Amino acid sequence: MSEGTRTMLLDMQQIRKSFAAGPVLHGVNFQLARGQIHALVGHNGAGKSTLMKTLGGNFADYSGKILLDGEEVALHTPKQALEKGVAMIYQDFSLIPDLSVADNIGLGRDPRGALPGLISHSALRRRSAEEAEAVGIRLPMDTPVRQLGVAEQQLTEIVRACSQNARILVMDEPTARLAPAERQHLFDVMRNMARNRGVGIIYISHFLEEIREVCDVVTVMRDGRIVETGAASAYSVQDLARLLVGHDEIATIASTSPPRGKTGAPLLEIEGLAVAGRPPVDLAIGAGEIIGIAGLIGSGRTRLARAIIGDVAAAGRVRLAGRDLARRTPQRSADAGLVMVPEDRKVSGLALASDIEENMAATALAPRLSRFGIIRAREKRALVESLIAKFGIRPPDRKRAVGTLSGGNAQKVLVARAVAARPKAMILDQPTAGVDVGAKGELHKLVELSAAEGAAILLISDDLDEILALSHRVAVMVGGRIKEVLPREGLDRASLLAAISQGAPAA
Amino acid sequence: MTSTRADSGRGRFALPAGVAWSNYALLAIFVVLVVVFCLTVPHFATWANFANVLQRNSIIGIVACGMLLMIILGGFDLSVGAVGAASSVVAAALIVHVSMPFGIIAALLLGLGVGIVNGFFIAKIGINPFVTTLATQVLVTGIMFVGTAAQPVYGVPESFTWLGLGRIGPIPVPTIIFAAVAILTWAILRFTTFGHHVYIVGGNKLAARLAGINVDRVTILTYGLGGLFAGIAGVVLLGQTNIGQPASAADWPLTAIAAVVVGGVPLSGGVGKVGGAVLGTLLLGIIANALNLLGVSPFWQPAVTGAVILVAVGIDSYQRRRLERR
Repeated sequence: MSEGTRTMLLDMQQIRKSFAAGPVLHGVNFQLARGQIHALVGHNGAGKSTLMKTLGGNFADYSGKILLDGEEVALHTPKQALEKGVAMIYQDFSLIPDLSVADNIGLGRDPRGALPGLISHSALRRRSAEEAEAVGIRLPMDTPVRQLGVAEQQLTEIVRACSQNARILVMDEPTARLAPAERQHLFDVMRNMARNRGVGIIYISHFLEEIREVCDVVTVMRDGRIVETGAASAYSVQDLARLLVGHDEIATIASTSPPRGKTGAPLLEIEGLAVAGRPPVDLAIGAGEIIGIAGLIGSGRTRLARAIIGDVAAAGRVRLAGRDLARRTPQRSADAGLVMVPEDRKVSGLALASDIEENMAATALAPRLSRFGIIRAREKRALVESLIAKFGIRPPDRKRAVGTLSGGNAQKVLVARAVAARPKAMILDQPTAGVDVGAKGELHKLVELSAAEGAAILLISDDLDEILALSHRVAVMVGGRIKEVLPREGLDRASLLAAISQGAPAA
Repeated sequence: MTSTRADSGRGRFALPAGVAWSNYALLAIFVVLVVVFCLTVPHFATWANFANVLQRNSIIGIVACGMLLMIILGGFDLSVGAVGAASSVVAAALIVHVSMPFGIIAALLLGLGVGIVNGFFIAKIGINPFVTTLATQVLVTGIMFVGTAAQPVYGVPESFTWLGLGRIGPIPVPTIIFAAVAILTWAILRFTTFGHHVYIVGGNKLAARLAGINVDRVTILTYGLGGLFAGIAGVVLLGQTNIGQPASAADWPLTAIAAVVVGGVPLSGGVGKVGGAVLGTLLLGIIANALNLLGVSPFWQPAVTGAVILVAVGIDSYQRRRLERR
């Protein structure tokens, strides 16, 4: 490339960064040219967000050199990075919801009013409008950001970044929640900024098709190293999926035996279940069957799970063991034998200040462990202690507050809570997220045990290996729709990744 | 403190040690204060004085038990004062014009009803507890003043004062009622599914719902009980004054909340024990009593109460924060 001889906009050399658990970046070299849209792809844990956080000034203790326009810079705080023209646009926006678009664009750069300490709102509004126009973005300047759609919020962020003279724009999964038309508009804005303003854009996305559509160059990361860089047009989706996974790992996955155990007649049947604005979903899960649901972030898996247990309003029907679960609420579903292990144990899973016993018994308490509202304390205690032993929870102390447990043990409490209710069907949403390898293996065994005892299990996971290791069948979810249900045989990580990465994101 | 430090090598086990410490800290402060007052304050260490303290603080104690339930649930109730005054007025009017049992039952139902309305607006409509109970407080007070033309209701038979001023043996009747309410609250929290659900809902409402707990029902029932206890307190108040006084009990909500938080129960919800609420009530009670006996101007009492809240809750919160930061 001819650009190689000129100074690069960004040149990161031999970047290393370690956390307590070990090194994450092993001497990464990354270059970005002016006006280039550069895709950075990699699995969860490949190191791409650590690399970008380093660039954004989030770590004071990285090693290696970072050159901007050939000049070495130290990026030890987010403020330093911002001053050097590095702007990050994250998935969760850093906008203030009740301020107007104009106020958000001008945040932290108040134009002086008539007296010190006063703000001139008309000057602020005028300046923000000019800044939006300069990058070719039209926004309703007086509308509070709260009332904007996701796409417009994102554009507000982009205008704000550009108005701070950003030379480098890092976009982390910007299209995950956008409709197709909004994506096209975003791509136009990106192209415009790159071609006409010379901004370098680093684009992180799991949608491999998009990368071919909008990016010039693609860099693939794996295990803290860069494994390949080249022109985006030179790779097919399958090529990229294979690079992400790594060749040697394909072999190991293919050799993992698919789950054994017979599956019985349909136990949990979902017919035409449609959450507002999403296409209907049909799925039937047999007794003893584990169906994995694979999809990208934002593909609607958690909403589907919550709709099944009745936490989110939805049209359609859910039947459990032939019985129609009409007018579902999470409580009625649990009483009927359909329970959920929610994602994110801290936010939606556990009462952290309460002890193991109270959390573990929460679902089973009313239907199984009480009579006329009075708790049968001895049975509750026996059940909790048997589950603590069965799940291997450390320390085995039923009176310990859940908030003091390690992630793996807290997650075991959450799964044990569902098992304690002796469910006919279970929905597991990211059951091993943020759990160490040992606890993960134990949880997998316990999930398989539940299936072997006849429960129908729906498994949502970002971890494709987990889905492949446990599922009898795999449902591929794209844009709120189940695109296809694949048999486990003949699937490997690369083919599954390619399946979920194709097609438009959520509409 | 030493136990906390010894645990510091195993960071994640430090929290329960700290929590246990703060539980006993309250009891220790209480015991130390009682001993100090016994030694320094004249006439403090007499049964007559103790009975007096118990009798005066039992009403707030009853209200605090209900407040405890609502605080564990992650809320609180500002309408308990209005409910207490209203139920005492209603009881007085009905005792005078109809009959004593009818008056008492109607007063309790009034408390229960207002509590259920509070719970309904909080759970089903989604107004936050502050606004909901502020509104019902003003609403109930307004209706009561219209109904009575702001005049006290006289004519309750003298015998009714047994409920507020009488004794069974050496123990004041209000204290027996307080003890009964406290034991009932303890039993609810310990032995019933509802009580356990209160902790889980207070700890994490979203998690409780996804775990299959009917959060709305738990919320409505909790505020119902809070209102019922305020109604009981109102009847006992009538027993002390023998007059249905519309302009009474205005200080109940904040005093009850103060008693509960001084008892080591954080307003964030999910934790709390009856023992804390009882101790908190009595702690504030003996401090007021001691100041009284020492001849300190009554105007100083709120100031001292305020300082006690800051110190007691401050120690607890600071301890928690230090443990979480590590």
